Amino acid sequence: MANPRQLDKRRKSVKNIRKITRTMELIATARFKKAMDRASAATAYTNRITQLVADLMKTGLTVSHPLLEPREKTQNAKLLILTANRGLCGGFNGNLIRAGLKQWDVLESVADNCTLEVSGKRGIGGMKYRGVVAEQQFTHFEDKPRFDEVDAIAERYLKAYAAGELDRLDVVYTRFLSPAKQVVAVETLLPLGSLAGADDSDAADASAGTPYEFLPSPESILEEVVPTSFKVKLFKCFLDSAVSEQIARRVAMKAATENADDLIKSLSMQYNRARQGRITNELMDLIGGVNAIS
Amino acid sequence: MAEMTVTVVTPEETVVETTASSVVLPLYDGEVGILRGHAPMIGRLGYGEMRLTVDGKTDSFYVDGGFVQVADNVVNVMTNRAMEVGEIDFVSANEHLEQSLGLTAKGDEGILTRLRSIEQARAQLRLAKKAR
Repeated sequence: MANPRQLDKRRKSVKNIRKITRTMELIATARFKKAMDRASAATAYTNRITQLVADLMKTGLTVSHPLLEPREKTQNAKLLILTANRGLCGGFNGNLIRAGLKQWDVLESVADNCTLEVSGKRGIGGMKYRGVVAEQQFTHFEDKPRFDEVDAIAERYLKAYAAGELDRLDVVYTRFLSPAKQVVAVETLLPLGSLAGADDSDAADASAGTPYEFLPSPESILEEVVPTSFKVKLFKCFLDSAVSEQIARRVAMKAATENADDLIKSLSMQYNRARQGRITNELMDLIGGVNAIS
Repeated sequence: MAEMTVTVVTPEETVVETTASSVVLPLYDGEVGILRGHAPMIGRLGYGEMRLTVDGKTDSFYVDGGFVQVADNVVNVMTNRAMEVGEIDFVSANEHLEQSLGLTAKGDEGILTRLRSIEQARAQLRLAKKAR
């Protein structure tokens, strides 16, 4: 027979854990909302830049920018993995690390010189455990990545790319599709390939764009737009990752709370049964004793 | 009064979204004033002061490079950073200037970065002084 006191103790500890997971769920929900607002604010900016690029395209400008053209030979590749600083968010970090390792193998097979950069403590630890040491590590990105911070990183990549020290940059992150769906994505950010919105230019041509005046010149603006567009893309990766992390944590904590609820229920039942069993036993003993005396 | 829509966005947030009667923006080589009915334009911004007149009241912002797009009485300002002039930190701007003046530039790219940095810091200082 189970000891009722032990059962009660266990039930109490499960209750405490439930309190914690429930709180974490609530916190993640609140943070998710905030992160989401920031992400949608960034979308406003991205949309405007895309619009600008589309309008630029309409001038019949041929787009040529060093950032857009693939290198003939990929010598130096870089992989950036965006993970979380904290665990307790389900498969979020694990999936990223797995996808990161896969991409790492791909990069190693095409480029001679690969370097790894990881953001988030979980990713750093995970990659280290698997024998790949990150050259650069960032742990200062929490649920609110700031543009200045991302800008500094982007600036460094751009410089390395311009100097020929970097030929390809891949980013592994969790893309946010909808509050119910996030997927691990691998994206090649450098070379940029095509500018966002450049593909729509054909459709836009038909509607004969407004004749814009360019100050100073379309070329000069394009020169500025391309790095900006890269920075924004990278920033978007960070934002998406932050939002997805909160969602993953919320889901994981919700499941944990529900599990704790179930456990409490079954423990309570066991406890009550054990308690009743003990009382019955005692009664039986008592009655047996009385019977023996009389 | 003739008005137009003005939005100022940064990657982090939408700073301003309003209807204004006039906007003055710092372009890469000088200021440009935009009123209702301005011809469509795409311009590159420099560092400096943006003045926004709403209902006869003028607000002043610091903008940090970027682009402006004007079409159909809609003015879109895309910039890396935009803040009200009062928010500029005089001391840190000063430090920034000294730091960028102390930079040694290597090659064309380096010189450009240095110049940019200096220009940015000076614009901030100028505005911060004006606000005081």
